[in-house]
Amino acid sequence: MGGETWIDAATWLVWLAPAAGVFAAAFTRRRDPAIEGDRVLRHDLAARVEHWTHGIGTAALLVSGVVLGLRFGPSLARSGENAQVWMNLHFVAIIPFLFGTFYYAANTVLSWHRFSEHLPTRNAFAFTKQHYGKLLGFKFDMPPEDKYFESEKMAYLMALAATLMIVLTGLLKVAAHVVDLPGWLMGSATLVHDISTAVMLVFFLAHVFFAAILPASWPIFASMFHGYVTREQAEHEHAGWYMRLSAAAPPPGRDTEEPA
Amino acid sequence: MEDKEGTTQQTGISRRQLVAGFGGIALGAAFAAPIVQMFILPDDVIAFAASEGYLLVDRKKCQGCNTCMMACSLAHHGVQSLSLARIQVTQDPFAAFPNDRQIDQCRQCPGAPCVSVCPTGANHIDAGNGNVRTIDRRKCIGCQACVAACPFNLSRAIWNGDEKHAQKCDLCADTPFWDKPVGEQACRAVCPTGAISFTEEIPIQTDAGYEVNLRGENWAALGFPID
Repeated sequence: MGGETWIDAATWLVWLAPAAGVFAAAFTRRRDPAIEGDRVLRHDLAARVEHWTHGIGTAALLVSGVVLGLRFGPSLARSGENAQVWMNLHFVAIIPFLFGTFYYAANTVLSWHRFSEHLPTRNAFAFTKQHYGKLLGFKFDMPPEDKYFESEKMAYLMALAATLMIVLTGLLKVAAHVVDLPGWLMGSATLVHDISTAVMLVFFLAHVFFAAILPASWPIFASMFHGYVTREQAEHEHAGWYMRLSAAAPPPGRDTEEPA
Repeated sequence: MEDKEGTTQQTGISRRQLVAGFGGIALGAAFAAPIVQMFILPDDVIAFAASEGYLLVDRKKCQGCNTCMMACSLAHHGVQSLSLARIQVTQDPFAAFPNDRQIDQCRQCPGAPCVSVCPTGANHIDAGNGNVRTIDRRKCIGCQACVAACPFNLSRAIWNGDEKHAQKCDLCADTPFWDKPVGEQACRAVCPTGAISFTEEIPIQTDAGYEVNLRGENWAALGFPID
């Protein structure tokens, strides 16, 4: 094992990625969800880019981070050379993660209503009970869920908090490669980073299961690639969202630009 | 005051323009940093202050009792553990005297490769403790670069698998489990034969290591060689 780690050889990339994300958002024109004949646009291109860069980055960071070892878990990297390989992989994963996260954040600043539709409403617990009660066979009516299920919105809060902590402490740890920071700060940052990682891992596993592995979710999962769900899917699973879209539907085929 | 489009009427700057501005500045800074570093900043000249203390050993006096290793782990970690000792005594039962025993103590290298490679500054020169080369465990991220960088076999920087950080001999600068006398090292204090010594003068840097002859007439009186 020799030479510096990739993160030390190219630290500037860690700062470039979020800057590129913010800059890209400034030139991104969003398309609001809309009913287009038999299908409904659910995720525009920007949403898909945000999701997959952040998601793939998160997956690789989780794997490499767990291998490197959390403060309260075993390290699976058995040698210095092995540890350096995984540190390099961790660095590679940081780039798309930060780009996607900051691209999303900047897009959110520009389209604030998109953030508010991710937040739980006062119906959070009632809708969740009805929704999953019905799935489990109890006699409940499917609640008029919005674009995102209330249960997903609650999970979003967990993911948001974990992401914020991971990014803040992670950037601090990167800065420590260049600037001499106090030991108490780095020790605390590492602990917070590791705890947030554990929270993110729980969210990630649940998200992958409910969004990709559960067969009932496959139509929605496909929409994360091509952007569309069927009108029937939207009417049945997201009745509240479909009603909103129907009420606000502009003439078909017209893109809606976000106010600057 | 903002109108519906999110544009301030006084400055005429929209949110989108603000985002573009911040993003552009950050992008420019991120691109400029490596260029500045490569072409404008002078080359780094790093000189490490020499340590003000070194352990000297005489393996011909060492009996292989491992008391130094136990004392080291006790002083630093409160447990008797050969794995956690920052001085290591290795024994080869198939080798003839004096090659049957080796004492691997940190040499407090002037060039300190373990300090050079540390990406976070965890492994550093502690100016407040006689420039000893030591590791701040709170900053250690477990890359083990220092373990690999040590030019000696065994590496003088070792991995603490229990606490997940690297550690090394700090000449007992930090011994939470030993209220030690000033300037005392645990290994030197407990060695029953006096095979470990200490000096403030930097030893001659050779491949032979910090081997010295600590045997005197009393040792000869026991019938052991002193040459």
